[in-house]
Amino acid sequence: MAENHRTRGTIKFVVWSIASVAMVYFVVHSYNSGQMVRWYYYQTKTDGYAINVNSFKDATKEKPAVLQIQPGVQKIEGRVAVPVKKGDRLPEGANGVIDKKVLEAGKRAKLEGDKLVVIAPWEIKDSKGFKYKDTFIHKGVQTNPWSGVWNVAVVIALGLCLGLMAEGFTDFMGWKIKKIEHYGH
Amino acid sequence: MFDFAIGGMQAPIFLLMITGFTVGIVGGFVGVGGGYMVTPALIVFGFPGYIASGTDATHIAGKGVIASIRHRQLGNIDWTLALTMVGGTMLGVELGVRLLNYTKSIGLSGPALLTGSVLIMFGLFLYTQIETHRAHKKIHEISEQGETVGRELKTSKVHIWFQSIPILPIVKCTHARVVISMWAIVLVGVATGVLAGFFGVGGGFIRVPALVYVIGATTHIGVGTDLVEIVVSGAYGAMRQTMSGNVDMMAVLFMILGAMIGAQFGSIATSFVRGPAIRYILSYSLILATTGALLRLIYVLTGQKIEFLAFFAVVFTLGEMLFLCLFIVSLVIFSVRHTHGKPVPKWVPPLVVAAT
Repeated sequence: MAENHRTRGTIKFVVWSIASVAMVYFVVHSYNSGQMVRWYYYQTKTDGYAINVNSFKDATKEKPAVLQIQPGVQKIEGRVAVPVKKGDRLPEGANGVIDKKVLEAGKRAKLEGDKLVVIAPWEIKDSKGFKYKDTFIHKGVQTNPWSGVWNVAVVIALGLCLGLMAEGFTDFMGWKIKKIEHYGH
Repeated sequence: MFDFAIGGMQAPIFLLMITGFTVGIVGGFVGVGGGYMVTPALIVFGFPGYIASGTDATHIAGKGVIASIRHRQLGNIDWTLALTMVGGTMLGVELGVRLLNYTKSIGLSGPALLTGSVLIMFGLFLYTQIETHRAHKKIHEISEQGETVGRELKTSKVHIWFQSIPILPIVKCTHARVVISMWAIVLVGVATGVLAGFFGVGGGFIRVPALVYVIGATTHIGVGTDLVEIVVSGAYGAMRQTMSGNVDMMAVLFMILGAMIGAQFGSIATSFVRGPAIRYILSYSLILATTGALLRLIYVLTGQKIEFLAFFAVVFTLGEMLFLCLFIVSLVIFSVRHTHGKPVPKWVPPLVVAAT
């Protein structure tokens, strides 16, 4: 009887371990291949300039970053700004959109001819009382709406695989996890 | 260090896994998602506030599934109760989010959120602490008389009034041994959902006391059943947060891997203790979270000028995770020692059961 229980536990552990490894690999691969990032930086939700924030994160008022405006470019590399309209697909490599209103205000970034000059790449904000550096990253970006359903399905499937793997592991080790007697003495 | 392409920053993987692990222990034991602990931790690691909040909500759904599987094995879930409550919880969460947006639109969200959470958490702490202390004392007295004590003992009678509401349909929750109007369960779901949606948390620390004191379930069943609710509300929150662009899935993955181990320990640890022990941990987590929120409230109300208050709030929030984990581990160790006849502090025997 105990031997049967352990054999079932071994099978359960092996099956769900394989499923868990497959799920983890799937998530890592989707992330590293850029699929998740493409879904995240999907399209614009404002008129402005698509940019790669990492190219100018060290800019200061004294040493501003100058970005070359290049309309119609499909891939952003280095200090390039691509004019976009609300609903456009984001060029590859873009991770934020500088809103036209921000440029008009001219405090953090401004237009100078065919160049976009960034003066303040980040500002301090707070969430639930905690401070953090808020940059242009994610700004003006619309995530693919289907990614919400996809993320939930992945997280639930991952939780299921890992939870059943852990349950299989204790059975496989012969650790008896008994039901709790809630009402007895 | 891992380069989070969506979060737009770098953070050490082991810190995320340790965060998942510690919150997994507390969540598995008390039946909470732990959002009030994880979001500040992620901000400390360098995640922007909105990514921290969304990533946390998404990891809670996955962790909820892992902990629920173990609690199902332990027999801590009443599915009738859980499924009856789900609809009310969802409706409540949506109402809570709308209420939050309304307070935001009139420029009240920061202070309103913090003041509300401080008052509610402090009220719950007081009630849970007083009731649990009474139950603890009563178990001690019964043991002194040489009588055996069951897994659960509570002194609150609030559930008797709710169970006497005669509005049809009446639901029979066999496992929880509760017979109650369906509308009472739905009402509890809506009320706790509103609070969860408004405060942007999973709502476990409000729902577990409600399941125990209002519905009348045992603490263990309250914890297991609440975790099922957390899966549903967490999944809904995860979907909304992802669509708003607030989730980094790699950070979620690392935290879930840590939570997988932590949640096993936390869930199995419930089998070593009586109901009041879980309620004690719940009340301590409430007062610690209240203190953190109070520090942030003072910081916000003083025009965000007293910098050390914000710093203390962060240290406090991170410290409480460690404190609660150590408390849970200690209870398990004491339970094993007590079973083997080794000396334990006087307050321990009424809280633990013999380890098998």
